[in-house]
Amino acid sequence: MMSINQLILRNLKKNLKNYYLYVFALIFSVALYFAFVTLQYDPAMDEAEGSIKGAAAIRAGSVLLIAIVTVFLVYANNLFIKRRSKEIGLFQLVGMTKHKIFGILSIENIILYFSSMLVGIFLGFASSKLIMMILIKIIGIEEVAELRFSNEAFVQTIVVFAVIYIIIMIMNGLFIRRQRILSLFQVSSTTEEKQIRVTKWQIVVGIFGLGLIAFGYYLSTELFSGNIVTMGALFLTMITILASVIIGTYLFYKGSISFLFNLIRNRNNGYLSINNVLSLSSIMFRMKSNALLLTVITVLSALAIGLLSLTYISYFSAEKTAEENIVYDYSIPNLNNAALFTEALEVADIDYTETTLDIVNVSANLSNIIQEMEGVELEFDVSMTNMVIASDGWVENLDLAESDTVFVNTNEAMMQFIRLKESGEILLSGETTSFELNYLGHEDVRVLPFRFANGGFPVAVVDETVYQQLKANLDPESQGEFRQHVGIDIENLDDLQEAEAIFQASGIGSWTAHESQLQVINNQKQSMGMMMFIAGFLGLTFLITSGCILYFKQMDEGEEEKASYTILRKLGFTREDLLNGIKVKQVFNFGIPLIVGISHGYFAVKSGWFFFGTELVYPMMIVIVLYALLYSIFGILSVLYYKKIIKEAL
Amino acid sequence: METSIMIGIRKEDDDMPILEAHKIHKSYGNKFNRQEVLKGIDIQVDKGELVGIMGASGSGKTTLLNVLSSIDSVSQGKIRIEGKEFTNMKDKQLAEFRKHHLGFIFQDYNLLDTLTVKENIMLPLTIKKVPRIHAQKLFESVAKDLGIYEVKDKYPNEISGGQKQRTSAARAFVHEPSIIFADEPTGALDSKAASDLLNKLSDLNQRREATIVMVTHDPLAASYCNRVIFIKDGQIFTQLHKGEETRQTFFNDIIKTQGVLGGVNDEH
Repeated sequence: MMSINQLILRNLKKNLKNYYLYVFALIFSVALYFAFVTLQYDPAMDEAEGSIKGAAAIRAGSVLLIAIVTVFLVYANNLFIKRRSKEIGLFQLVGMTKHKIFGILSIENIILYFSSMLVGIFLGFASSKLIMMILIKIIGIEEVAELRFSNEAFVQTIVVFAVIYIIIMIMNGLFIRRQRILSLFQVSSTTEEKQIRVTKWQIVVGIFGLGLIAFGYYLSTELFSGNIVTMGALFLTMITILASVIIGTYLFYKGSISFLFNLIRNRNNGYLSINNVLSLSSIMFRMKSNALLLTVITVLSALAIGLLSLTYISYFSAEKTAEENIVYDYSIPNLNNAALFTEALEVADIDYTETTLDIVNVSANLSNIIQEMEGVELEFDVSMTNMVIASDGWVENLDLAESDTVFVNTNEAMMQFIRLKESGEILLSGETTSFELNYLGHEDVRVLPFRFANGGFPVAVVDETVYQQLKANLDPESQGEFRQHVGIDIENLDDLQEAEAIFQASGIGSWTAHESQLQVINNQKQSMGMMMFIAGFLGLTFLITSGCILYFKQMDEGEEEKASYTILRKLGFTREDLLNGIKVKQVFNFGIPLIVGISHGYFAVKSGWFFFGTELVYPMMIVIVLYALLYSIFGILSVLYYKKIIKEAL
Repeated sequence: METSIMIGIRKEDDDMPILEAHKIHKSYGNKFNRQEVLKGIDIQVDKGELVGIMGASGSGKTTLLNVLSSIDSVSQGKIRIEGKEFTNMKDKQLAEFRKHHLGFIFQDYNLLDTLTVKENIMLPLTIKKVPRIHAQKLFESVAKDLGIYEVKDKYPNEISGGQKQRTSAARAFVHEPSIIFADEPTGALDSKAASDLLNKLSDLNQRREATIVMVTHDPLAASYCNRVIFIKDGQIFTQLHKGEETRQTFFNDIIKTQGVLGGVNDEH
């Protein structure tokens, strides 16, 4: 006689092999969450939190993390309990009550769940130390982390996962309750609604889905093009984009893929190669029921790629943004303060170059060269707007005729709202004199920090003589707070740290608009580093959960298709033949959501990246390549799993 | 008597048997716990023969079929199909061998759910890389012979059990293999569908000179064979030849032999 306890133990032992992935999922989730919460409670984070309101970001991140982890664990549990339906049915058949079965499952789960949790907490603690070091490296907080084991984090992790455990047990209870003995035996063949024929309706649905995606993409390019101005309209458009892309993706999976595959299949007229048998027909067969799952994975991937790209763009562009914004190593819009600083530099024997410029605002009529855009109301009068002018002497390799002008000093975000024509006439006016000038185009050069030049609005470069005349005739009414600007560049890079120390010690930086480029870069990096860290954390979680879900799904499919592999091997297909077919299938299974996800992420990032930085392609490429590489690990793992199944099939 | 004449000499003429098995043994388990399922069986099947293998459950008939059809390996002994010995072939060579020489019909059809009837039937042709046009012809002829041409674009779960089994049979015949192995082909069919299938099988057997070895416990199915071999405890117990008898008398003979076999059966 075997007692219930022995039964539980024996079951546990036997199922551990089946459950190892579930255990892995659990350990991983716990470790991730615990590491995150440990960081949240660590005193070393106070500096980061205080300086950049990281606390809110971290808290929001941890809520999101809980949500993903819950969905993930519930999904994994459902897959694994489904696999055991036969066993459960057998228990029922020999007369065990559902109540008893539920009890056995619960005890089994408690042992499994809480021991994995302890392992997870340990791993989380170990890895949070590592993560802390990475974080400190990224955001440059100079304090060696003395990471302690956080009791708060421990308690919070236990509570969160205990709640998830209860949710999982409720799901299991419902599962057992819903099943009759008969249906338990059939579960693996009936849970999935099998797709057989491609109907006309499906084609329509598929095309409609593609249309929705295209519409969403189109809207996303319009989002910040300047055609949508009010906040309400902007919000509404964003919601529309999200809805149409997500629904479109779902319908696309539901309809188009099967339709496309069916075209290929019909062309073969019954003569299907092994690759087709294992990939096309198998994917088609399941596509309809998999549509939701694939949509979730696609959206997760798109989210992760978008999030990671945007933050990496900001981080990557921190230096360039600061350089564009400040232009000089030091920007001091006051002659006396500048003199104080340069004297100190001389005392310290640091070589520098000083560029003193007068900031001259004129009234400009740009109505000839600003392109009208439908529905856009610019917040200034194009025929009479303030504009800073510069002499062609300030810009290297530029010598303009008296009648000409070029625009410089623009920034990307500003130019999204103003469209300049290729050429045209503009009118620049001082108090009494005016010059009509030929606009020749726009160059990517900076002469003044943005804050002195109307925040990224173009600066008009004119000939020195015109500049002098306008300067002599300026209208005092339209001048800004600062009339002069001293830009100081340190000649020798090695001296920069010393110069920075002098600047900080002098207290000049506390004046409005007196800025050190280095300091701005560091500030930027610190805040972006924090964002990037959180985004990276979440992105990694999205990646691993979606990869795992796909992998679990493939395990499930593999078990289901084992009988087919037996037949095929009996017919004379070799293991290699089958494995090659499987590889093709996995390229589709993992590749389709990845490619669609990347495409979604790309359009999402493209619509608003210029608010985050100056460089789109390079950082985004890095993020995409890294994401694809990590993601394909799961594809490779699933091929290895299939390899095992195929081997066992005969 | 007949089983003792056997092999050794390879004849070059048409009389060369399609299948020759010599003293095959099969045992499972390890050194300490060994169970011998086949205890030295000799079998010879000639071209165009329809041979039945019968025996009680546990007698080793399914193991015998698996071993003869290269799906399972022998522990001892030699098996040749069309003069080619495959008992010591590697995995890959075996697959190659199966795709050219063997066809299979199974009790539970073993059709791929994800493929249409036509795609299922054409599978062996795609492995052999038969040119498309020729493949199409082969398919049409066998599908029409078996009466499933009309359902060629349906999926397995849209057709009846009898049609499924005929599809399975078509897949076994389509690439014109040297020999076809059938494992309880009528096991899952009702009597109408079963006799339907058996009529078609014996028809194809005669018209195409196809060689078929069929394991069955159903005397009706066995009565369609030219010869029935009875297995007991891993050895050949006896065999019956149909000769000039009618199917009905042959059926009665089979029932009688089965009675003798069954009387001493099951006790151990």
